[in-house]
Amino acid sequence: MARGNPWDDEFLRIRLLLGVMLLMLISLGGWLWHIQVTRGPSFAEDQNKQSMRRVRLPGVRGRIFDREGRMVADNRPSYTISIYLEELRQPGSWDRTIDRVEALLSEIARIIEVPVTLTRQDIRNHIRRRLPLPLVAWRDLSDAAIARFAEQADGIPGVDVQAESTRFYPFHELAGQTIGYVGRADIQQDEEEPFHFYLPEVSGRSGLERSLDDYLRGEAGGRLLRVDVTGYRRYDFKQREPKPGRDVMLTLDMRAQELAEKALGADAGACVVLDPRNGDVLALASNPGFDPNDFIPGISTVRWRELNEDPLMPMLNRAVAGGYAPGSTFKVVTALAGLESGLCKASDVYSCPGYFRLGRATFRCWFHPGHGPLILRRAIEQSCNVYFFHMGLAMGADRIYEMARRMGLGAKSGIELDAEVAGLVPNDAWKRKEQRDGWRDGDTCNISIGQGALVTTPLQMARVASVVANGGRLYRPRLVRGIRDFGDGEFVLQAPEVEREMNWAPANIELVRQGMRDVVSGERGSARRLALPGVAIAGKTGTAEFGRKEDRKRHAWMIAFAPFEEPRYAVALLVDEGISGGETAAPRVRALLQGLLFPTTEAEGRG
Amino acid sequence: MSSQRIISLWKRMDWLFVANVIALIIVGVMFIYSASSRRDDAQLTAMTQRQILWALVGFAAFLSAVTVDYRNVNRGAIVFYLATIAMLVLVLLVGQKISGATRWLSLFGILIQPAEFAKLATILMLAHYLSEPSRDLAHPRTLLIALLLLAVPGVLIMEQPDLGTAMTLVPVTFAMLFVGGVPFRYLAVLCLLGLLAVIPGWFTLDDYQRERLLVFFDPGRDPLGAGWNSIQSSIAVGSGGLFGKGYLMGTQNVLGFLPRTVAPTDFIFSVIAEETGFVGSVALLALFALLLGSGLRASLASRDKLGRLLSVGIVTLLFSHAFVNMAMTVGLMPITGLPLPLVSYGGSFMSCTMAGLGLVQSVYVRRFRR
Repeated sequence: MARGNPWDDEFLRIRLLLGVMLLMLISLGGWLWHIQVTRGPSFAEDQNKQSMRRVRLPGVRGRIFDREGRMVADNRPSYTISIYLEELRQPGSWDRTIDRVEALLSEIARIIEVPVTLTRQDIRNHIRRRLPLPLVAWRDLSDAAIARFAEQADGIPGVDVQAESTRFYPFHELAGQTIGYVGRADIQQDEEEPFHFYLPEVSGRSGLERSLDDYLRGEAGGRLLRVDVTGYRRYDFKQREPKPGRDVMLTLDMRAQELAEKALGADAGACVVLDPRNGDVLALASNPGFDPNDFIPGISTVRWRELNEDPLMPMLNRAVAGGYAPGSTFKVVTALAGLESGLCKASDVYSCPGYFRLGRATFRCWFHPGHGPLILRRAIEQSCNVYFFHMGLAMGADRIYEMARRMGLGAKSGIELDAEVAGLVPNDAWKRKEQRDGWRDGDTCNISIGQGALVTTPLQMARVASVVANGGRLYRPRLVRGIRDFGDGEFVLQAPEVEREMNWAPANIELVRQGMRDVVSGERGSARRLALPGVAIAGKTGTAEFGRKEDRKRHAWMIAFAPFEEPRYAVALLVDEGISGGETAAPRVRALLQGLLFPTTEAEGRG
Repeated sequence: MSSQRIISLWKRMDWLFVANVIALIIVGVMFIYSASSRRDDAQLTAMTQRQILWALVGFAAFLSAVTVDYRNVNRGAIVFYLATIAMLVLVLLVGQKISGATRWLSLFGILIQPAEFAKLATILMLAHYLSEPSRDLAHPRTLLIALLLLAVPGVLIMEQPDLGTAMTLVPVTFAMLFVGGVPFRYLAVLCLLGLLAVIPGWFTLDDYQRERLLVFFDPGRDPLGAGWNSIQSSIAVGSGGLFGKGYLMGTQNVLGFLPRTVAPTDFIFSVIAEETGFVGSVALLALFALLLGSGLRASLASRDKLGRLLSVGIVTLLFSHAFVNMAMTVGLMPITGLPLPLVSYGGSFMSCTMAGLGLVQSVYVRRFRR
């Protein structure tokens, strides 16, 4: 310390003091640079994390049209009334805010004349879990209620009407199982950017709604909300618009569908109409059915139980998921297998005494007096069992098995319905595996006439009719005709898919076709009831026994195609429990074909 | 006092200093508005108006302090000192308890914080004591008495408890001893003892004070409780970036992550830093630096030791407050509850600060007088 000059010394100390202070302030500035500029982005991210909430916005679902452009699955607006909690917030305990919300709800309930359904606990749960989102107080309100709201409640703060899109099926029961329905979507947790909140969103639950979900479902958008420290929404920060799903045009013709369902009438059964020129499914009917609108927005427990406990199983789409013995309709396959194998000829004559003995067993022909001596064409016409027993034994079961598989039996056709089943064409290997028993001649006799373990779906039998109708081209049956972006643009049509060319000898297929024509128009045809004036129709009846023998239960089948020369329709119709193909199924197919081929008369009949 | 004298004092005022003070007060009012304007509680929206009122009261205190000859303060120092000590005792006995601490005295319906006056009183008392011409600063007794003068109000304030305010007296006393001429070796020993005192000191702290210190070293310790303010304040300052989010646009502030009760008071700097960014916060630092510089200019210009020590004490007090406050909002220091001088919302503190700055000017305007 310089004792000689204390004044100067003191000044120096003051300057030193100032220096220290400035140095400290400068270091503070350096630190500020560090956290505001160097680490600023990371703090900004922390800030966003704690104040941003991401809401998933579902895209509008694409619509479904029939081939004529009729709306089959539509979105209709449904009106909801929502409460915006951030405008009703009360300081202090949450209960005060809940009181305020309840008071508002009862006030609006009085205006719109719809009772309050939300409980205090509902409001509490919403506050706890979904505070930044509006609280939906009423869903799907009537126009009258909305009108009352607009008249008297408009301008009340914190309340607003919103339109939600709701699925609607204008044709109700028609093609119900095929169209299917939507239900509340499961939250997908594996998404790239997790959302904090999800809005109600639907996804296809059954039928085409489910199998075409990838097309129909839109692409979800997102909304970023800024919330305050309490969790109330402060403002919308950003929004990425959701993309609507795509519209689908079906091959179905709802008029044909209506005819098919009318043909089934009140009986349990199924009916499929294909276009043999391209595999388009024009109608896919299953009876009994249900109205998919019952599932929107959710099905009631009572209705759900009804549908599931009904012994006739209305939820089952019999056309693709019902397995039935095809009975005599299968003789078409047996005949083609025999002719194509070269082991049987159209001119082969077998005599039918009304029964067939195989060892100690006796197989009966349905016509007990016996058909007498027949050639193949007559055997098809009269559906003689004994002739086909001989034929089956002459070529062997493997030929029948192969032809059946080639014609699409025993396998899924690839139609756009998840419910489809494969059915079963039995053979030796199958029998050894499933029944631990070898294939016997009796099995060959059974399969020759479409009985035994053979299981087919109505769709598969319609394909059989179709491939015979067009002379040997097996198409993949398809329900989707075209796709377009949501809106009213042109549909991009899809080309039909050929699964297999049969390459049948023209004489062979022609003989079977002629036989089927005789079924309808021959002197002794089994489906003379099917004949229509002015058009040549071909077909084959079938009556398949099922269940216990003493119950005498029979599936009544008919497959048909028309017009004979240039077929445009291939049909399979099945009645679960009927008298016979000729008696039960043929008149129904006649009514169906009449409606399809002569639409004007049908229209007149309606008018 | 004749009007002529007032005019001559007026002419000798350090106008840069005054402009600086006004600038800081304006910044404070602006950001108190930003921090309080979006409150949903109507009772609190009047904060800005009240701060303007406090500023006017502050200016009155400032001007009266300028007109008072600081050498007359000399005589009143002891009285003032004893009076504030009496008030501090009174606080502990009958004070208003607000959020866990007893810091306020209700005087005719107005809440006052005696600790604020105690800081000024201690500075006056020390300046008076150390500047006595007969005082031998090299004698250890002088040092001990000076420390005692610090300790009495210091301990009383700590008892409230208000550790932050009590602690600001330490650098103030140290600076006054240093400038006053206490030998360096004493000061060095004092520093050493201070460091050693940390260990027993730890055990005399209240639980919440210890928790605050622990939270300072690890704010994640209790992010929703004690660490909340520190974390949210750092986020506010950090997310401000280079240029800030704009006036009234600070999300931390607007969305209430920066608690609404402290944003206009202790954490006003966070609001400023978030909304004006690095550029704005450094500008604020510069304003403070300028104020400190012009404050110490008064000290350098003073004709006597009393004036020098008085202004050194007050400027150091201002610096300690400002530095500790800003450092705590950016996570460099524990949360102590010290407001930012001239900027934070608050009446008692504003009046005391302005009175103190008035005394600094009182020294400056009398620089030529004998």
